[in-house]
Formats: sequence, C-alpha cells, structure tokens
Amino acid sequence: MSEELFRKMAQSIIDGDSEVAVELASQAIIAGIDPLNAITQGYVVGVTQVGEAFSCGDAFLPELVMAGEAMKAAVSTLEPEMARRGSQRQMLGRVVLATVEGDIHEIGKSLVGTMLGASGFEVFDLGVDVSSSKIIMKAREVNADIIAMSALLTTTMVKQKEVIEMLEKENLHGKIKVMVGGAPVTRDWVQKIGADGYSEDAIGAVNAARKLMSS
Amino acid sequence: MKFTAQFLSDDEQLRIHQETLHILADVGVKFHGEKALPLLEKNGAKVDWDTRIAHIPQELVDEALRVAPKSFVLGARNPQYNYAMPSALTRYCIDGTATFVLDPESGQKRYGTSVDNDKSLRIFQQMDMGVMAWAPTAASDRPAHSRVLHEFFGIMKSTSKHGQHEVHHSGQIPYLVEGLRSVLGSEDAIREQMNYSLIYCPVAPLMHDGDMLDAYIELGHWNMPVMVLPMPVNGTTGPASLFSNLCLANAEALSSIVIFELAHPGRPVIYSSATGSVDFRSGAYLAGTPEMGLQSAAMVVMGRFYNLPSTSAGCSSDANEPGAEAILDKLITTIPPVSAGSDIIVGLGEIEGDQLLILEQIVVDNELAHLCERLYAGVDGGDSKNLYEDIARVGPGGHFLGSKNTRRAARSDEFFMSKLIDRHPYEAWMDLGKPNMYRNAREKVNEILAGPLQDPLPENVLCKLDEILLAADKELAKD
Repeated sequence: MSEELFRKMAQSIIDGDSEVAVELASQAIIAGIDPLNAITQGYVVGVTQVGEAFSCGDAFLPELVMAGEAMKAAVSTLEPEMARRGSQRQMLGRVVLATVEGDIHEIGKSLVGTMLGASGFEVFDLGVDVSSSKIIMKAREVNADIIAMSALLTTTMVKQKEVIEMLEKENLHGKIKVMVGGAPVTRDWVQKIGADGYSEDAIGAVNAARKLMSS
Repeated sequence: MKFTAQFLSDDEQLRIHQETLHILADVGVKFHGEKALPLLEKNGAKVDWDTRIAHIPQELVDEALRVAPKSFVLGARNPQYNYAMPSALTRYCIDGTATFVLDPESGQKRYGTSVDNDKSLRIFQQMDMGVMAWAPTAASDRPAHSRVLHEFFGIMKSTSKHGQHEVHHSGQIPYLVEGLRSVLGSEDAIREQMNYSLIYCPVAPLMHDGDMLDAYIELGHWNMPVMVLPMPVNGTTGPASLFSNLCLANAEALSSIVIFELAHPGRPVIYSSATGSVDFRSGAYLAGTPEMGLQSAAMVVMGRFYNLPSTSAGCSSDANEPGAEAILDKLITTIPPVSAGSDIIVGLGEIEGDQLLILEQIVVDNELAHLCERLYAGVDGGDSKNLYEDIARVGPGGHFLGSKNTRRAARSDEFFMSKLIDRHPYEAWMDLGKPNMYRNAREKVNEILAGPLQDPLPENVLCKLDEILLAADKELAKD
C-alpha cells in the first residue's frame, strides 16, 4: 500500500497538484507512515524527476515552480506529525533571502526562494526593500548559512556590497556565505564585492547554494 | 493604400477597457509612498491602509481620461526637433538605462558610464528617425545617489532633441529643476516648452514605487510630461495570455494616469508600454519576441482608444551580440507597433533585453526604422503612380530605365535606397573586404564622434550644470 501511495505522491509533485499532494500527506499520517519516508520515497522522487526533466529542457519553469509549491504544501502537512514523532527533516542549509533596500522588485527573489525551498533548503524570505541591518539581524537570529540578495537596479545593487561590508565588520562573513543575483549583477561585480556565490537564474541559484554548503 | 494591420477588434478594445475597470475597482492597485493614497481616498477611491491597496472606481478613470491632453508638442532645445503628438508617422527614442555597454574599442561587455551616454547621444543626435533621447546606459562611474541627475544632465549636454529620463526620489528634484532652469532660462520655460519629460514604469503586477511616484507627482508642478510604461511579462509578472496581460498593463497605465491627473489636472501624459514575454525554460524576460511586438501594437491601439498620445517599446532584441538574431528580433518587434501607428518607438541601440548598448546598433536601428517606414507607407495607387503610358511606350521587350518617371522614382520615397545595407555584387563585395551594415555603421559612428558636437550648450551653462552635479554628489550622499 505504501508503495502505491509513494508513487501517487511523486506523481502529485510531477503534476504540480498541491491539493492532491496535501491529501496524500493526510492519508499517510492516518495510515501511520513515517513522514520522513513519505518525503524521501514519495515527494522527493517527484521533485527529482521534474528537476531532471527541467535540466534536459523537457520541463518548463511553471512546472518546476508548481512542483516546488506542491512539495512545500505536502511538507507543511507532514510537519506536525514529524514534530509529534520527534523526527526532523534533514535540510541542506538555512538561507535568509531578500531584495535589497530601495528595490521593490520581487519575482526573481521569490523564484529563487521557491527553488531553494523545493530543493531542501530552509528559506527565510524577508521580502523586498529590506535594509542591510535587518538582513544581518535575521541571519544572526536563525543562524543562517547563506544570505541571498537580489537587486534589479544599478543604483540598489550597491546594497549587496554594504551587507558584505557589514558582515566583514562583524567577522561573520565566511561563517555566513553570501549569494547575489539580479539583472545588473555579473561575475565581475561578484568578485569586486567579495560575494561567494552568484547565478543568472533561479535554477542556477540552487546549484550555487549547494556548492556553498559543500565548500 | 497604406500597409495596414489590425491588432484588436473594436469589441476586443472595449473588453480590455471593461476588464481593466474591473481590475482597478475590484483587485485594486498597491501604492507605496506618501502622496498617492491620500489623493485617491480624498477623491473617492476605497483605500485599505494595511495593504496600501486602492480600489479605483470608474469615475476616477473617466475623469482622468477626460482631462488628460489629447495632443501636445514635446519641445526640444533646438526647436527644429519639436515633436507633435499624435503623429501621422512613427519616430524613435534611443533605448534607455541599459546596465552594460559593448566597449567600442575592445568589443568586450562592461558596465556603462557617463562617457558612453555622451557618445551614444551624440550619435543619436544625427539619426534622422530619432526624436526623443533617454539616457542610454546607467552611468556606473557616477555615485548611485546622484546618478540619475548625471544621466539627465548628460542628455541636456549631448543632444538638442527632446530629453526624457527619471528621478528616484523628491530629494533629487531641486537639482533637476535648477539644471533645467539653467538650460532653458526660466521656470516658465520648463513648464511651457516641455523640452524634458519623465519616464515612469509601474512595478508589475499592479504596484507603484513610493519615492519615485512621490517625486513624479511633485514634478507636476513644473508640468513635466510623463510617459507611462507598464512592463508586465506574460507568465511571470503578468498573466499568461496576451489578452489578459494587455488588461493588466492597461490597468497599470490607467492607474498611473489617474494619479498624475488627480494631482495636476491637464498634465501631459503619454500612454506607452514595454510588455515582454517569458522564456519558459529559464524564467528570463524576453523583449524580442513576436508576442512582445503584438502586445506593443495592441497597447498602441488602446492608447488610441483613449485618444492619448501613444508610444511603445519595440525594436527590441534578446540577442547577446549584434548580428542576425538582433536584426530578426528587432524587425519582428518594430513592424507591429509601426503598423499600429505608434507615435514613438523606444528601442534604438540596444540588445540583450534592453541591457546592452552598442553604438553601431543605433545607426543600424535607424536604418531599420527607415525600412519599416517604407513598408508602412504601402502601395500608392494614386493617379501619378499609374504609369500605363510608360508600359505602352516601352511595349513588350525593352526597358524602363530611359523613362522620366523612372529617373524621378530613383530619387523619390517610392523606393528606399539604403546607404547602410551593402548591395554590392558578390565579387565586388569580396574585393571590398565583405562590408556589412554593422561595419558601415561603425564608419558612421567614427565619423560622427570625430566631428563637432551639434548644438552645444554655452560654456557658462555647462559650468553651471557641473556645479549643480557637484553639489548633488555631496549633499545627496548625506540622505
């Protein structure tokens, strides 16, 4: 029975169907299935399949995003049961995410958040127009591994530099790695400000974050 | 008759308008900043102060559209470049605020500077299809807090055509106004001549920046025209159908116009758009697609539906380097808005989704604009074009080269003779070292840059502008 349920869970992710994913999570709890098994043997199989299809150009971004959202919904449903059992999902790392101060462009940042979340990172999305001090405060509070910042404008990308300078001042840079992104961001800029990771798009951001966690 | 194309039926235009009213009233629009929401609430919009969303009723839209001027002249420092809108023919604006420049010497991509703005605007000054100058690249060599002022003043210095740019917050206004006063002579001249205008992009979906919008409202005091340029992208910041994205873009445009007209009734506004589509493989913004061309044209149609001066993005490309892909994208995104009768198409000189400025591309795009203009002019079926007498005289066999009509036609608008596209026969072309339009454009660029600046500002005005910028660099850094 579990096998069939796991197969359906994977399929719900492939279909990007949050409602079905949540319903199957509830069924698993009732059936006494270990939520961690449901995640690793069910949902993650679907996420992996969509991710691979995307890498080959066989899946499109909305399919990937909806798979990520279905995964998130299923995990939220399973979380109370995990807490009851005292079990915890192994996360790849903690990421504090924001669009920098003075910039209200959201979509790139949110896509990165969805992709990181679906890939096993714990994401704290602070939203847009977030001051450098607030970003650092949150990173301290949650003991973040990575700060990821977006900026769309050449006039606001300087805030990415400001955050790194503040981290340096507090001797936190290194313990907390920094990823940056946004239309005006280039490899040269990343080097210039001393950021640790960078990607031109949301999918690349997952790889960049993985690399930072293993470095 | 003229080359014609229909992008929206009458019924579709009406439905877009009705859906737009529905969005504005029921979904609402989010306004950051201090000035817009009180103004909207005072005039009957329902405002949710927690979410900062205003629900804008139809009456406000109707009134804004009633008082917005239906025609006006964009002035220019050299009046020969004054541009009246609506216009029977499409003219062009150089694309603006690209992050990067293809270095003219090394051919490498790098961040843009104020020198790049100066050079590209000097080239644009001599492009006969260009009427409006936007700062082509972000001047990364200038401080972030005063950069837009450097860019704006760069327009005043390097071209005598109509200038359009932006400010980011109210603190920059005194410097801008002082600069405008120095160039134009008085505050009345700022208001009356309208030589400089503002470009305003709402943030899709359905949001308005705070500091920028507050500043733009304030600049209504100087009657500076505003070009409203919504930019929703199908599938990411906009819905995934052309029709609904048009409704969303229209809602963003009208919500902007409502605010500007509420604050200063009768302020000149220009209806525009720069909708894009999405690369579903990466989520990237695409500017050089047929969907973009269609949406730009349809938005021009909607601007005309409201009888407003209507411009659009276009001549855009997602190519990463100059060449065939750039030309392909640019043609597919220029022909539709030209056919729709856009007053001005914004897009000369840039590729890579408006992010990369290339000096030669300005010249190439000017040529492309000529080709599209010729296409749009269509087949003239007038009596003077009926050359039956020539056919009868030449008869079967023979040729028409000896006809006076042919001689006249060679120097007429009937046949566009390109000076840029290479038409040499193959072997001559080989012997010449395979010239192409980009190489020819490079020669034109070098020729313009080696020549004097046209219509330079007097030395004392240039000094004054530099003084103002120096003060802005210093004083705005404190904010």
